Amino acid sequence: MHIIWRYAGWALFGLAVAWLLLIYFPSLLARIQPNIPPGFVRIENGWVYALAGLLVIIGFILIYTWLVTYLSNHRSGRKRSFWPLFGQGLTHLFLLLVLLFAYYPILQILAASFDPRNTLYRILPPASDNLLVRARVIPDFSQLSWENYAKLFDGFVLYPYQGILLLMAGLCLLFALGLAAYRRLVGDGDVDSPWARLQGRSLALFALLGFALVVFLSPSQFTGQGTEAKFMLWVRNTLFVSGITGILAVLLTATAGYAFARFNFPGRYPMLLVFIFIQMFPGFLGLVATYVLISNLGLLNTFTGLVLAYSGGIISFGTWVYKGFLESISKSLEEAALIDGASKWQAFTLVLLPLSTPMFVFIFLLQFVGTYSEFIVANLFLTGVDSWTVGMGLRNFTTGQFSTRWGLFAAASVLGSLPILLTFYGFQRYFVSGYTAGSVKE
Amino acid sequence: MYRSPPGARGFFIAIGLLGGALLAATLAGLLAFWALQAAFPRPLEEGYPGYLILLFAVVVLIPLLVWLGRRVPFLTDWYYLLPAITFLLAFTVFPIILTTYYAFTDYSGLRNGKPDRSTETEIVRVEGQRLFLAGNAHDLLRCDQPDCAGQALEITSRTQRARVSAAQAQDNIITLTAPPPFTPSLVYKINDYRLVGFRNFMEIFSRAGTVLLPILVWNIVFAAGAVFVGAIPGLILGLLLNNKNLALRGFYRTALIISWAIPVVISVQIFTAMLNVQFGPINRLLGLLGAYPIPWLTDPEWFKVSALLISLWLGFPYWMTATLGALSTIPDDVYEAARIDGASGWQTLTGITLPLLRQPFIPLLLGSFAYNFNNFGLIYLMGPQPGVEGRPSTAQAADILITWAYKTAFQADGGQAYGLGGAISILIFFLTVAISLINFRFTGALREVR
Repeated sequence: MHIIWRYAGWALFGLAVAWLLLIYFPSLLARIQPNIPPGFVRIENGWVYALAGLLVIIGFILIYTWLVTYLSNHRSGRKRSFWPLFGQGLTHLFLLLVLLFAYYPILQILAASFDPRNTLYRILPPASDNLLVRARVIPDFSQLSWENYAKLFDGFVLYPYQGILLLMAGLCLLFALGLAAYRRLVGDGDVDSPWARLQGRSLALFALLGFALVVFLSPSQFTGQGTEAKFMLWVRNTLFVSGITGILAVLLTATAGYAFARFNFPGRYPMLLVFIFIQMFPGFLGLVATYVLISNLGLLNTFTGLVLAYSGGIISFGTWVYKGFLESISKSLEEAALIDGASKWQAFTLVLLPLSTPMFVFIFLLQFVGTYSEFIVANLFLTGVDSWTVGMGLRNFTTGQFSTRWGLFAAASVLGSLPILLTFYGFQRYFVSGYTAGSVKE
Repeated sequence: MYRSPPGARGFFIAIGLLGGALLAATLAGLLAFWALQAAFPRPLEEGYPGYLILLFAVVVLIPLLVWLGRRVPFLTDWYYLLPAITFLLAFTVFPIILTTYYAFTDYSGLRNGKPDRSTETEIVRVEGQRLFLAGNAHDLLRCDQPDCAGQALEITSRTQRARVSAAQAQDNIITLTAPPPFTPSLVYKINDYRLVGFRNFMEIFSRAGTVLLPILVWNIVFAAGAVFVGAIPGLILGLLLNNKNLALRGFYRTALIISWAIPVVISVQIFTAMLNVQFGPINRLLGLLGAYPIPWLTDPEWFKVSALLISLWLGFPYWMTATLGALSTIPDDVYEAARIDGASGWQTLTGITLPLLRQPFIPLLLGSFAYNFNNFGLIYLMGPQPGVEGRPSTAQAADILITWAYKTAFQADGGQAYGLGGAISILIFFLTVAISLINFRFTGALREVR
């Protein structure tokens, strides 16, 4: 019986693939109009050249690996096959192509951000001898300009004390990065070594200084004409809202996760179910109701109101993750503390909290990154250009009333994704371990 | 009661006490707020901010909780849950209940329960239940009924406002059902919404063949396809990068997660620019290979392909990382044993690696399916979609249930039909719950916590 099901599954899969290949793809291809718009470079049978080029490269790799293996065999007198080395060469080729795929959008948006003509959509091709440049596959780097970036900073006044804060924050970050590089060089993998602690402290100081900077920046410092001159203000707003939301997520979920992991009160299981299933209601469709609530509280168009509106969506997941983390920690430490006469609260704050830092960092970062990208709720609750967030500002560039301003959009995208990019790469370890903690169980 | 009573009794006692405390504190906050308003009235335009209610409520709640904790010590276990529960109640449960209620009403942009400021009418004189207006009551207030019977109205003075109901209107006189609580100077019509029973659901299901079913089918195809196109390349990359002899392994691994690290709101919009028919870099690249311009975003079917292409770009780093994480838990001696037994590379892959990856991958696959099932950001940020004949402008070629619901509820061309949007939301909720139940059944996540 089981076998039949299995074959039925494969048959169904085969049917789907056959439909996809024989019916769907031809119908898709039939939808392409065979006409060439002006300025569009098309090479008849170009794929043949590309394939031939690829084969030539593979041939080179083959010859190269064979030669290398032959020479080393000749010298050492051993007989080793060259196929593993050839396989590695092919792997590198494949990975380079994947890298190209992954970085092509980033390359294009970087190029667009330096293009002063403010558009991705130029009819006239650049005059160049290079076919790839003429087809605009490779951006035309002959006309770089900082104009788009300059527009984003137009009329931005930085007070001296803020400049000092910025400088100090930058120094802290550099110091932490330098320490990280030094530790990597020395091979210091210990997370509790003095250097590691110093690195952690300087990162914390950087976060503190950055937060102070975010709080002290005010809309009156942005005197430029046009909405795009307020871009740094939007970044500041977004960082502020995301940071507070992240902290709130940790505060709200820590005690709840502890209670679920360690207490055995009646009703624990139904409460856990409530926590999970409530989250499955599509959150932002309750927006009108949330809007009514926030407006009755008189918090419309304030960051407090926005953070409160976000707070509903962050609890379940964080609680669930933190509970799982605590369950993986042995109870013996707290039990020792409890026997010594500590209260539950003391056992939690003195024993478990210090151990939980990685998980709190993960929950904070997840909220921080998630909120940074959010624009639907923000769009409803915040009005006025001064309180926009990055997402709203970017939407404004691409869905603008008059025309899409790609140059500005590109420059703003590059700057706007930097905080998240840095956070992500800086805390990669936390992201990866946090995400996989729940999944990779034995 | 030092120990909690066992079973359901203990649960209900705790819930009852906590709920009672929260309710009492909220009521006390409201009462204090009203008392403040009554004692020191302020003009309506600069009234007391509503969050004072919260402050008053907290001031009452904390001593109440301390007192309760002394009287019923077992309740202190629940205090650890209280912050989370309070926020869930206020910002998740309350909106859900209200949205469910709206789903049974005709709430929309035109009927939103708010006073219509364009019907502002001056009240000349008040006599008991009768208001004398400056002109003809029915014309000025634009009542729904010819004699304004049952019309909801808002009356305001300089410092107070109240909601009243009209009994009837004649010329310039409106008779209310009860005398106004203060002497009003202005009156407005309230655009009230009404309960309509199951009409919103009927509307969804009556057009199921042209709207609901195609959207549902595409939604499932999209969710499954997004998982597939992310997981397969991610799996391949993870397997390749797991080779310990590969040079630059760490570099590839770090460099390839770039698309995970860029905010979705940015990357999806970059892609919509890249996929432009005439000028998009992707079509230019394909043009060099001999392709004619592909209508990525202007053809309904190609739009769907574009959505999956973007999912591929966004999704593969996650799967690559997940594969590498799962592979790192497979001990080396398993491979050692296979090598001694003379297994080829392919046999090791299909006989050992892939079967061992199955266990950790099933929850990830199901979780990813559930996530993509409601992947609002991707579809919405791709921008305006090519139209499909016979479907409303809120449900176009690549719209999934959640974007359909959002556009219905919030976009002007959907009439901001919030009631209808709420009905779709309830449908989404049940579907998501069903998916999650299957998920839990497969992964045994619920058995574990029990």
